[in-house]
Amino acid sequence: MAQKIDDLKVYWNKITYAFPILNDAIFSDCSNTEYEEVQQLISGLGIEIKIRDLILVHIEKYLRQHVAPNFWAKFSKVDEEIKGFQLFKSAVTDLYEAVSSFSPILCRLTILNNNCNDNKPIYGEKDVILGFKQLVRATLLSQLPLNFHIIINHFYKVSFNVFDNEYENSEMAEDVMCSGCLNEYSDCNCAYIVKVFHDTNRKLMDLQLLERLTGQVLTNFIQMRIESHIQKICTGTFDISHIGFLENWLDTTLMTWLTRIYCAGSSKPPPDDKNIQNAISKFKQKLSYFLYHSYTKLRIDQLFNIIIEYPDSQPAIDDIKLCLDKTDLRPTLCKKLQNALETRLLHPGVNTPDILTAYISTIRALRHLDPSGVILEAVTKPVRNYLRNREDTVRSVVSSLTEEGAGSELAEELAKFAAEADGDNDKDDAWDEWNPDPVDADPKVDSNDRRASDIISMLVNVYGSKELFVNEYRTLLADRLLAQSVINTEKEIRYLELLKLRFGESQLHFCEVMLKDILDSKRINALIHQDKSIEELNKKFTSNAMILSAQFWPPFKDESLELPEEIKQHLEAYTKSFEALKGNRTLSWKPHLGNVNIEIEIGTKKLDLTVSPFNATLIMHFQNKPEWTIDELHQAMKVPVTILRRKITYWQSMGLITEKSTDFFVLVDSSDSKTNVQTSQVQDMICEDEETESVMTSAQDQREGELQVFWSYIVGMLTNLDSLPLDRIHQMLKMFALQTPGTECSIQELRQFLDTKVRTHQLVLQGGMYKLPKT
Amino acid sequence: MKVTVKSWTGVATWRWVANDDNCGICRMPFDSCCPDCKLPGDDCPLVWGACSHCFHIHCIVKWLHSQPQQQCPMCRQDWKFNNK
Ligand SMILES: [Zn+2]
Ligand SMILES: [Zn+2]
Ligand SMILES: [Zn+2]
Repeated sequence: MAQKIDDLKVYWNKITYAFPILNDAIFSDCSNTEYEEVQQLISGLGIEIKIRDLILVHIEKYLRQHVAPNFWAKFSKVDEEIKGFQLFKSAVTDLYEAVSSFSPILCRLTILNNNCNDNKPIYGEKDVILGFKQLVRATLLSQLPLNFHIIINHFYKVSFNVFDNEYENSEMAEDVMCSGCLNEYSDCNCAYIVKVFHDTNRKLMDLQLLERLTGQVLTNFIQMRIESHIQKICTGTFDISHIGFLENWLDTTLMTWLTRIYCAGSSKPPPDDKNIQNAISKFKQKLSYFLYHSYTKLRIDQLFNIIIEYPDSQPAIDDIKLCLDKTDLRPTLCKKLQNALETRLLHPGVNTPDILTAYISTIRALRHLDPSGVILEAVTKPVRNYLRNREDTVRSVVSSLTEEGAGSELAEELAKFAAEADGDNDKDDAWDEWNPDPVDADPKVDSNDRRASDIISMLVNVYGSKELFVNEYRTLLADRLLAQSVINTEKEIRYLELLKLRFGESQLHFCEVMLKDILDSKRINALIHQDKSIEELNKKFTSNAMILSAQFWPPFKDESLELPEEIKQHLEAYTKSFEALKGNRTLSWKPHLGNVNIEIEIGTKKLDLTVSPFNATLIMHFQNKPEWTIDELHQAMKVPVTILRRKITYWQSMGLITEKSTDFFVLVDSSDSKTNVQTSQVQDMICEDEETESVMTSAQDQREGELQVFWSYIVGMLTNLDSLPLDRIHQMLKMFALQTPGTECSIQELRQFLDTKVRTHQLVLQGGMYKLPKT
Repeated sequence: MKVTVKSWTGVATWRWVANDDNCGICRMPFDSCCPDCKLPGDDCPLVWGACSHCFHIHCIVKWLHSQPQQQCPMCRQDWKFNNK
């Protein structure tokens, strides 16, 4: 019995000599011949399977208790990159050595396993060595610490710097520092870093840990690199295409570096290793996509500015166009651009002409980006809705259409259209250039409409229809023709011809008659001035008329105004003369329309003014009688009191009339120095009361004058939003107008200001809501 | 203070002095023009008949051309131009 136990001890010692792992050790001097004997011993005892399984248990335990903890112990949270680099290097080296030290044991275990003949898989593998490697990986990964990526990141960052530097061939060559390793040139570390880098990668590859351990870190790292590279080269200018450079950078710097990681230093994958080739090409696909994606996202963030700079920014638009096909960013682009347009353009603080300019740029740029017109339509819908609700949109479009000189894009556009209309138009034959609509196209819209619409029709469509637009144009033309004392009819006719080409003869026929009326009026005036019966009257002052064909002009607002007797006689004489000139025809005067050239002498000052008939009549009354109550004026002029109150402000602002007490107005005496008008300033003043409103400086309320700068904002808000309570107006002013320091305005001050506007009938206050009065 | 009017430019609309608003033939307003014309007034004047009915000159001329008898389309009296 004792003999037997002793025997067993001897056997066990022999077995543990061959497999020291059973005593949690690794090194043994056991030679191949010695092992043959041990193997025979095990086979003789018939315990192959038991011993093998026991060894596996011990290997597992050893890896878990020693190898893995030793490895991970080095993955500390260090800040210094080069320290991290060293730590990772030594972790991998130590691991590699530890794993290698198992090979004699594994060699014997293979023989033992072959003798087991039970075909049991070792950790999922048939082969002992493969199974072992699997076990190593599983054990390591089961103990993955939280911050494992830090030193890996340092490791690849340090090595990438060296590579990036190699490929960029930096201009800092004369620096004392090597931009690769950031050491002084005298002890540049780059060669060492490259060697360690290759060495470590090879070991990881060998352990089949490269992908598992570093894959995600590497991907994150490269993506960060791509983003920072894009940020670095794409700031500011939009007039260079970057996508070629970026693709090239990816191909050379990034992919070469990656290939070297995967191929243990070689810049080309081994031609026979399909796995590595696949891994690399997969990585490249992923990175290309990421590159396009990041670049496009950056450009989309800049798109508003790119559009504003179009066509100088066409290279940037070309880049986006190319990238949109490679990414899925079309919806993002639409959403972001729409937001940008809304926040940058669509609020009361932006002038309509500026919105229009931006809108035109958007049309041009997006048409280049997406010839199908789908993006344009989707993105600019809010802009169109907004413009439709701005009352000066058509005026801006029309004035831009008829503006002379460079800078007026629309005038150019109109001229271009006229030139194209002359050439033959065979667009219908271009069937072979047809392309299907993109998937996000609105099926309800005819794609031909979307493609063909030119910039002017895009603008006109803002207004709903050609007819509405032309109507607006007619109203504006009427205002302009009647407001101006000197009319450049030639210019108006020239533009009318251009507009006729664009909108068709019939639409603009009315306007033609209007212009002809103005031209005819000049002739008739000249003829009537020769009439003997009116000659005497005209010696005092000349009367002229604008004789309109009522059927062709927009309807006039009927406003009453009783003209001074002297003027009435004059106009009656004119009518008589007209009737004599044109048989069977007579005139009906619109007393409130027209313009009057008057000279006012106060003391030593002389004012030469062109004013409305209302203002002329009013001041003439004050000449005869220096004090008037509002009711007396109402009796004399037959003008509603509310309108009188509003319009008398013109003469108040000129300092000629003052409101002595409520509704009691007196002429300011010539000796009174309050008259704050300079003759030169007033010389060309055309008297549209609304236009002169901003000149209004009321002496008794300085603060009101200061708040006057916000008036246009407030009018803008109320024009767009109809009616608003006090606090909303205050809020919006704070957002748009009160940002510059020194322009504070408390809500009480604002209320006072608005209330004076209500008193002067420039605002209406109804149920706590401020509104513009209906005119 | 002395105010001197140097010139007064008023605005007026012209109209035909007729006892109706519309042309009995084309139904257009007299102050507009007949369907064949583009410009009102001098280019498309009115004429009066002896019966005191009036029309766009182009309308009555066309009417008279199309009729076997030269009658006023309103009162069927013989049409005579009244040079009033
Ligand atoms: Zn007629
Ligand atoms: Zn006619
Ligand atoms: Zn008749």
